[in-house]
Amino acid sequence: MKQTPDIKPIATALLVAPAAILMFGVFILPFLFLVVLSFWSQAPGSVGMTPSFTLANYARIIGDSYYLGGLWTTLWLSGLVTLLCLVLALPLARWIVLHAKRSKGLLIGLCILPLVCGALLPTLGLVNLLSPLGFINGALKSMGLIKTSLPLLGNIAGVSIGLVQAFLPLMILPLISTIERIPHDYEKAAMSLGATRLVVWRRVLLPLMLPGIVAGSLLVFCASLTAFVTPQILGQGKVVTFASLAYQQAAMVLDWPFASALGMVMLLFLALAGLVGALVSRGLGRRT
Amino acid sequence: MKRIACYAALTAVSLFPCLPAFAQDYSGRTLVVGTWGGDIERLLREHVAGPLEAKTGAKVEFLLGGSGDRMSKMVAERNNPTMDVTFQNIYEAPAALKEGLVVAPDAALVPTAADVWAGMNDGCYAMSLVGLGIAYSKALFPEAPEWADLWKAEFKGKMAYAPYPSSEGDGMLAVAARIAGVNEHDPDAAFAKLAELGAPVLSYSSLDEVFTLMDAGEIAAAPMISGYVLSNLGNYEGIGFVFPKDPGPVLVRDMVCQVANSPEPELAQMFIDLALSVETQTAYAKELNFGPTNSKVELTEEEAARVINTPEEVKSLLQLDWSYVIEQRSDWTDRWNKQILGQ
Repeated sequence: MKQTPDIKPIATALLVAPAAILMFGVFILPFLFLVVLSFWSQAPGSVGMTPSFTLANYARIIGDSYYLGGLWTTLWLSGLVTLLCLVLALPLARWIVLHAKRSKGLLIGLCILPLVCGALLPTLGLVNLLSPLGFINGALKSMGLIKTSLPLLGNIAGVSIGLVQAFLPLMILPLISTIERIPHDYEKAAMSLGATRLVVWRRVLLPLMLPGIVAGSLLVFCASLTAFVTPQILGQGKVVTFASLAYQQAAMVLDWPFASALGMVMLLFLALAGLVGALVSRGLGRRT
Repeated sequence: MKRIACYAALTAVSLFPCLPAFAQDYSGRTLVVGTWGGDIERLLREHVAGPLEAKTGAKVEFLLGGSGDRMSKMVAERNNPTMDVTFQNIYEAPAALKEGLVVAPDAALVPTAADVWAGMNDGCYAMSLVGLGIAYSKALFPEAPEWADLWKAEFKGKMAYAPYPSSEGDGMLAVAARIAGVNEHDPDAAFAKLAELGAPVLSYSSLDEVFTLMDAGEIAAAPMISGYVLSNLGNYEGIGFVFPKDPGPVLVRDMVCQVANSPEPELAQMFIDLALSVETQTAYAKELNFGPTNSKVELTEEEAARVINTPEEVKSLLQLDWSYVIEQRSDWTDRWNKQILGQ
């Protein structure tokens, strides 16, 4: 009996090849170049590079309190934005799942809007809202609540508002997906056994929502860690983040090796965040 | 007679290389020009790209963005450039030539370059002359300020700066150095003096952003480059602009460069030739208040008052050692971040 050759692996390889080649060419290769570049140095007084191995760029980051400060600001700003997004998204996502009937699609669409309209336009809109002569300060002054403008730009407050506005959808969507899978009966059962609303949230809902919380937090944290446009515009040069430092070094100082090292440090923290997320998810998986 | 005809023919042949190459058909070819967006792009389309396309059949494509992005592009594409012409700041042009990224200015290749004021084509071809002066709030400065007035105690922490590194930042450091009795070669004194002005209200990303606050008196002053500021002042009654005298305003030049080993060198030279022409330079002066570098441009008295357009005026300006300044870029950026922004 004649055997037909198994063409499945070949067909799979052929189907995967275009995407794999594209990924290798436009992502893996440039990434490897970035890694190598971070160990080179900028030639003194020149825009050229010296292609010999050095740890000077990393030593500069570790040894300079300004860059360590920038790293620390970026990390805690990302943590703060993640926390704010979580606090805002939890009730909103639950309300959409439980109470928004016909308008659910519309509400989810509105939540996604900041993601699809890019970072620049909403950020410039926020400048008009938050500036000393903007809508918020103007309204507060006209109501007699303040006399001098509140500083809402050029500080952590302004940048946080911008980042929360930009990345809230990244928290809401995984939460909606998780909450939808929680049977409403669990909550009723807990309450029938005498649990207060707080206890229901603490011991029933939050543990069941944890996969969504972990996924959303990871997404928001990583997006905030690498955000450039919003901190650059709303920070007005006074909120130093790693992304803005990397841009300054790459595009304005043209010190690509140092900018690459800054990028590598940022990637290291992204990887660490991913690792923590994976460990927590694995722990949750074992528990369930 | 035959000999005369022969001489005439020889003369015509020998002169041929000097004739503008417009007669040649460049249909199907594309010239890529990197420049700033907005009014500059519009003027270049009207006065340079349009005529060049009509005469050669080539297409002119603009890449819009900041000059730092274009420097990065030239470095990245050093061995295989895709951009033919690039507009750079004065502080970048000598460095670009030193790195072999651009072709040295040559009047044999770009005939109009011979009409540019002597000594201006430093690294690339000088496109326009502007000066770093002071944009100020009229509410806070009833009279136009001198540089030293910015150091009065009541204005501490009320300045705005362009993001650093920039011509504005380097120029302001040079001014601070002179106020401290030294020059830009003494960065310790320059940074210490500039730090006395306090941290800025903001590092602005657009003129509207800073003008709105300055118009309302929230920002006292900002070191700014004349051209754009003068073009925008009409929209803000509460803002003035002055070229101080002690020291004089810092001379800043926009440069137009032919990218080395670019795909379309002939078209690039023709583009630059048109950019330096009397017509384009006059439009720059009239519409943007950018001083012409072409010595044959004639302006009315009113137009001339708003731009830097004579060698005498240029002599009165503060000229920096840009080659030195550019070598300090990395160090000074760190110092700016820490000592000026991070106070």
